[in-house]
Amino acid sequence: MEIQLKEIKEADILIGIPSYNNARTIGHVVRAVMAGLAKYFPKAKAVLANSDGGSTDGTQEEVKRVQIEDFKTILTSHPVHPLSKIVTPYHGIPGKGSAFRTIFEAAHLLNAKACAVIDSDLRSIAPEWVELLLRPVYEGGFDYVAPLYARHKFDGTITNSIVYPLTRALYGKRVRQPIGGDFGFSGELAKFYLTKDVWETDVARFGIDIWMTTLAIAEGYKVCQSYLGAKIHDAKDPGSDLGPMFTQVVSSVSTLMGEYEPLWKRVKESEPVPTFGFHYEVGLEPVSVNVEHMIGNFRLGAKNLMEIWRKVILPETAPRLESLSRLSDEAFSFPEDLWVRIVYDFATAFHQGSVHREHLLKSMIPLYLGRVASFVKENQESPAREVEARIESLCKVFEEMKSYLMERWEKGK
Amino acid sequence: MGMGEVWRVAISDSFNKFLGKVLTFLPNLLAMITILIIGFLIAWIVKKIIFRFLKAIQFDKVTERWGVAEVLSKGGMTYSPASLLSRFFYWVIVLITLIMGINALDVPATQNLIAQFFNYLPHLFAAILILIVGYLIAIFLGQAALIAAVNAQMESARLLGRCVRWFIVILSLTMALYHLGIAEKVILAAFTITFGGIVLALALALGWGGRELAKDFLERLYRRKEKEEKGQDHISHI
Repeated sequence: MEIQLKEIKEADILIGIPSYNNARTIGHVVRAVMAGLAKYFPKAKAVLANSDGGSTDGTQEEVKRVQIEDFKTILTSHPVHPLSKIVTPYHGIPGKGSAFRTIFEAAHLLNAKACAVIDSDLRSIAPEWVELLLRPVYEGGFDYVAPLYARHKFDGTITNSIVYPLTRALYGKRVRQPIGGDFGFSGELAKFYLTKDVWETDVARFGIDIWMTTLAIAEGYKVCQSYLGAKIHDAKDPGSDLGPMFTQVVSSVSTLMGEYEPLWKRVKESEPVPTFGFHYEVGLEPVSVNVEHMIGNFRLGAKNLMEIWRKVILPETAPRLESLSRLSDEAFSFPEDLWVRIVYDFATAFHQGSVHREHLLKSMIPLYLGRVASFVKENQESPAREVEARIESLCKVFEEMKSYLMERWEKGK
Repeated sequence: MGMGEVWRVAISDSFNKFLGKVLTFLPNLLAMITILIIGFLIAWIVKKIIFRFLKAIQFDKVTERWGVAEVLSKGGMTYSPASLLSRFFYWVIVLITLIMGINALDVPATQNLIAQFFNYLPHLFAAILILIVGYLIAIFLGQAALIAAVNAQMESARLLGRCVRWFIVILSLTMALYHLGIAEKVILAAFTITFGGIVLALALALGWGGRELAKDFLERLYRRKEKEEKGQDHISHI
């Protein structure tokens, strides 16, 4: 990769696409990026870097092959500088974070002004995404652009029930999709990311998104978000089960809590971040959720993991969970305050190290599924706007109960 | 030489011999006392150093994480793991000191016994180590299996966790006894028979006694899988 980058010398814009066996969708993503760059940044010298995890389905060949034959069809003229494409394998632990690291290195070597990373499994990406992710950095003086999507009301459950409310309560910035997957960032921020030695941790895997967002907020970089419309991606990879995803994300959030303890203790309330893009309603694909399955998992956890949970939660919380597990499917309801208490208790236990960390996070999964099941049940008939209001209400509970977290954190020292 | 003279010589010879023996034994006794004093002092210093070191590396927290502290408190142990381990080393040094002290007396009867004891000591330590490490691994893997089974929605999660734990406990116990050389063949045979028996019992239960139960179980499992496949979640958690 270095030889190719040295030949290119430098670039104004770098777009990184991490991939692993995404031959079905990556062609569309590359085409959208090429069209977006030609349409919105025709004078900029741009590089597209595909950081691949060793695909065997022809992903890399697809990236090299894709071209826009006729720029007139996308109502634009040929860009001044032809787009340079780099297809490179990444090194290190297999995972999204390691792929991003290679993209940060490319940004550093090219001295890029503005960068963006875009998932390779997107089906809903349009050329406008390129502008929305890059423009605030390229011309607006921002350092970090988080995505803002229209998603199905039951999509993004780790985001809605843990990551968004917790990040907002801790660091005081309302970044709605802190682990969205598609981000814009400045070259300066990419260089800063490279100074951190985290590439052997969960950050090298699914933990990368929240790590990038948290560092951008906590280190005082200018953060904003851009409305991108619907996020529709390729059918779920069967290998990407909930377990690793959940533990890697929550582990990253909890580790960062330890690092930025003085900062989050000072933050008293949250504020919105500047938002770009034009909001519009979109039709979303229906999502099927097996609530009984989730409640069953919660009950099984309550029956077998209570001994571990008791090491983490307060004595008065355990009976509440036990009585919850005895409720019928129809009456099942996981109260917001109980959930917030549990998230804070587990974060504190992670910091203390009183339970083996991997066991701790994995034992939290049945609790999380219980909360998701309850959320789905409560919002089965509600329109998206109402569901968003409920997420907002959960965020407020997280903020109101921050004193509980601080108390538990101090006692655990 | 008169009777009185013979008597006097006999007494004086006997006394001289006794005095000679006392004089030979006295340095040994003094050596033993010195060894004991120095040994106890070293034991005390080592105990303090180990305790402080364990506190510095937060040993109590680590053992708490591994579930050792809980096991100790369940067993009525009031000492913390760090205190317990430092005391253990204290008593090991005290024991060695006592043996060295007795050895310094140079009494032939104890020499052989002490030599045997020292030969056996490494085996004893190795066996204790096997037991401790085995127990820690058993707790850790038992818990890992339990959590994994719960997340895989297995109704018999607790049973699986316990099976994993006890398998490792029994395995480490067998290894420890084998290492000590206690009835090696009997232990090995007992272990083989026990586990062979368990596997056979399970096979018989499934094939004969519990075939209806096994049939029901497999049918339910199949139906559940089918149901799960039909009602699979399509939500994206991230």
